Amino acid sequence: MEIEKGKTAKYLKEKRPVPKEVTEQLKSFTKTKKAILNALKEVHKTIPELAMELNMPKEDVVYQLMSLVKYGQVAPDDIDDMDEYFYYKIKSNGKN
Amino acid sequence: MIMEETKKKILEYDALVVGGGIAGGESALNLANLGYQVLLVEKDLTIGGKMIMLSKVFPTLDCAACITTPKVSEIARHKNITILTGAEVKKINKLGEHRFEVDVLQKPRYVHVADCTGCQLCEDVCPVSVSDQYQYGMVGRKAAYIPFSIASPRAAAIDIENCTLCGACERACPTKCIDFTQTEEEYLVKARSVVVATGFNLFDPLKIPRYGYGRFKNIITSMQMERQLAPTRPFNTILRPGDGKLPDNIAYVLCTGSRDKSVGNPICSQVCCMYSIKQAQLLMGALPMADITIYYLHIRAFGKGFNEFYAQAQDMGVEFIKGKVGKISEKENGNLILRYEDIEAGVVKEAEHDMVVLSVGILPNQGIADVFENEKLELDPFNFVQQSDMLASPAKTSIDGVFVAGTASGPMDIPDSILSGGAASAETTSYLRRGTL
Ligand SMILES: Cc1cc2nc3c(=O)[nH]c(=O)nc-3n(C[C@H](O)[C@H](O)[C@H](O)COP(=O)(O)OP(=O)(O)OC[C@H]3O[C@@H](n4cnc5c(N)ncnc54)[C@H](O)[C@@H]3O)c2cc1C
Ligand code: SF4
Ligand code: SF4
Repeated sequence: MEIEKGKTAKYLKEKRPVPKEVTEQLKSFTKTKKAILNALKEVHKTIPELAMELNMPKEDVVYQLMSLVKYGQVAPDDIDDMDEYFYYKIKSNGKN
Repeated sequence: MIMEETKKKILEYDALVVGGGIAGGESALNLANLGYQVLLVEKDLTIGGKMIMLSKVFPTLDCAACITTPKVSEIARHKNITILTGAEVKKINKLGEHRFEVDVLQKPRYVHVADCTGCQLCEDVCPVSVSDQYQYGMVGRKAAYIPFSIASPRAAAIDIENCTLCGACERACPTKCIDFTQTEEEYLVKARSVVVATGFNLFDPLKIPRYGYGRFKNIITSMQMERQLAPTRPFNTILRPGDGKLPDNIAYVLCTGSRDKSVGNPICSQVCCMYSIKQAQLLMGALPMADITIYYLHIRAFGKGFNEFYAQAQDMGVEFIKGKVGKISEKENGNLILRYEDIEAGVVKEAEHDMVVLSVGILPNQGIADVFENEKLELDPFNFVQQSDMLASPAKTSIDGVFVAGTASGPMDIPDSILSGGAASAETTSYLRRGTL
C-alpha cells in the first residue's frame, strides 16, 4: 500500500477507533476555552472574577487559563491594587 | 492496537547504558570519549532526567538548564553514542563474559525525529489539551507536543492515547514528518557491558492523607515548585494553583516520605534539606515580600559549601522551625493551617500559611531488577541497586559486567551522581579491557 505522506491519520483511524473519552475531553476543553475567551473579550479579569462569572472552581480556572496563556491565546496583564491577583487579557495577536 | 508483524533489528555495542539522566549521560559520554560504541536507552521522550527539569542547583545557584543543555547536546551529537528515546529494556540475559543479549522495545513517536525542525506548528493547530506531565500537572499541553523547549531531541511527539486523529498536525507540518503509520520497533542488542542508570522515583504525597495533598489545591510538591521557579515555568510567575494568588507566606515540610517507616521509607533522601533551602532563597528573590518557613527535623547540610548555604538562607530571613508537622487543614480562603509539634519547646502549635510545599523524598526505581533473566541483579534492603563492593568498587553490582551509576544505587545529589557516573564508566572500561588484554 502506497502511504500518502502528510495524510496518514486516516490509516490509524481505520485500525484504531478514537475512544469516546478522548472526544468527550476535547468537547469539554473547547467549551471551557470558548467560555474563558468570551469572558475576557471586553475587559481583563482576575482568576476569582472569572471563576465567579463562569461558575467554575478557581483551581480549574487556573489550570485552563494558564494553558491558554501557554497556547498564546491569553496574556497576563497588570496586578490588582492589593498585589494579589493578576489580570488576564486576550492576547492581541492571539490565535484561535 | 494491532501489532504489526515486526522483525527485530540486531544492534551491537560495547556498552549499553540504561537511563539517560545526568548519571547515565556522564557514563555514556566518558565511554564514548574512550572510543567505545555506546547505546543509550531512555524510556522518556527526552534525555536529561530530573536535572533538566530543575530551576537552579544548590549550593552554587547555577542555572540547571545552563549546565545540563551543553552536556545533553554533547551526548546527543557524539558519534560513538546512539540514543533510543521512548524505549525500554525488556530483557537482559548474560550469555558469558562480555556477552549480554538485550531486548529493547521502542514505542512509536509518530514523528520522524530527523526531519522535525521543532517549529511547533503542529502544537499550534492541535485542538486537544491534556495535563502536561513535564509541568507535573499544573498546566495543559497539546496531543502533538514538544516535551519542553530544552528537550533533547527537541522534536515533537504525538500522545496517541489522547489524539483524536483529526490530522490537523499533519496538514500543518511543513516537513511532513508526522507519520501515524509508525509502529513499535523491537531491537536485539548484543552488548559487551551494561550500565544501570535508571535514577529514582519521587515519593507520592497522596500516601500521607493527613497532609491533604490533592485535596487542598495550595499544597504542592517540591518538584512542582522547581517547575514554578524554572525559566520554562507553567505560570507567569509563582502562583497558588488553587486560585492564582501571589503567595506571601510559604511553608516547607521537610522529610515528606523520607525517614518515615510508616510510609515504607526509613532512610534520608539526602537532597531535600538542601533543595528546600535553595528554593527558599530563590523564592525570596522572586517574591521579595514573602515569608518563608521551613519545618524540619534535622538539617542535613553535609556537603561542600552546604552549611554556608544554610547560613546564607538564615541571613536572608528564612525562618527555620524544628517541628514535626502532624496535620494540615484548609481554611475557606485556601490558606493552610499546619498543626505541628515544636520540638524545642515541646508543645503542639498551629501556624497559618498561604501555600505549602511538601519536600518529597527519593524512592528507588525498582523495575530494572526484573528485566535481568538468567542472573539476579541484587537490590539493597531499601530496594536500590546493591553495590556489591561499595567501598573499593562502588559501581560494581552482583553481576560481573553490569555497573550502577547515580541515584539507581541510592539517593544523592547532582555532583555525586556525576561522580558515580564517572566511576561506572571507569569500571566498565576496566571490565571491557579485561576482555581484550
Ligand atoms: C525537587 C528536587 C530538587 C533537586 N535539586 C537539586 C539541586 O539543586 N542540586 C543537586 O545537586 N541535586 C538536586 N536534586 C537531585 C537530582 O535531581 C539528582 O541527583 C539527579 O537528578 C540524579 O540523576 P540520575 O541520573 O541518577 O537520575 P534521574 O534524573 O532520575 O535519571 C534517570 C533516567 O533514567 C530513565 N529511566 C528510568 N528507568 C528506565 C528504564 N527502565 N529504561 C530506560 N530509561 C529509564 C528516566 O526516565 C531518567 O531519564 C533535586 C531533586 C529533586 C527531587
Ligand atoms: S491528529 Fe491528534 S495530535 Fe494531530 S492535531 Fe489532531 S488531535 Fe492533535
Ligand atoms: S512535527 Fe512538524 S510541525 Fe511539529 S514541530 Fe516537527 S516539523 Fe514542526
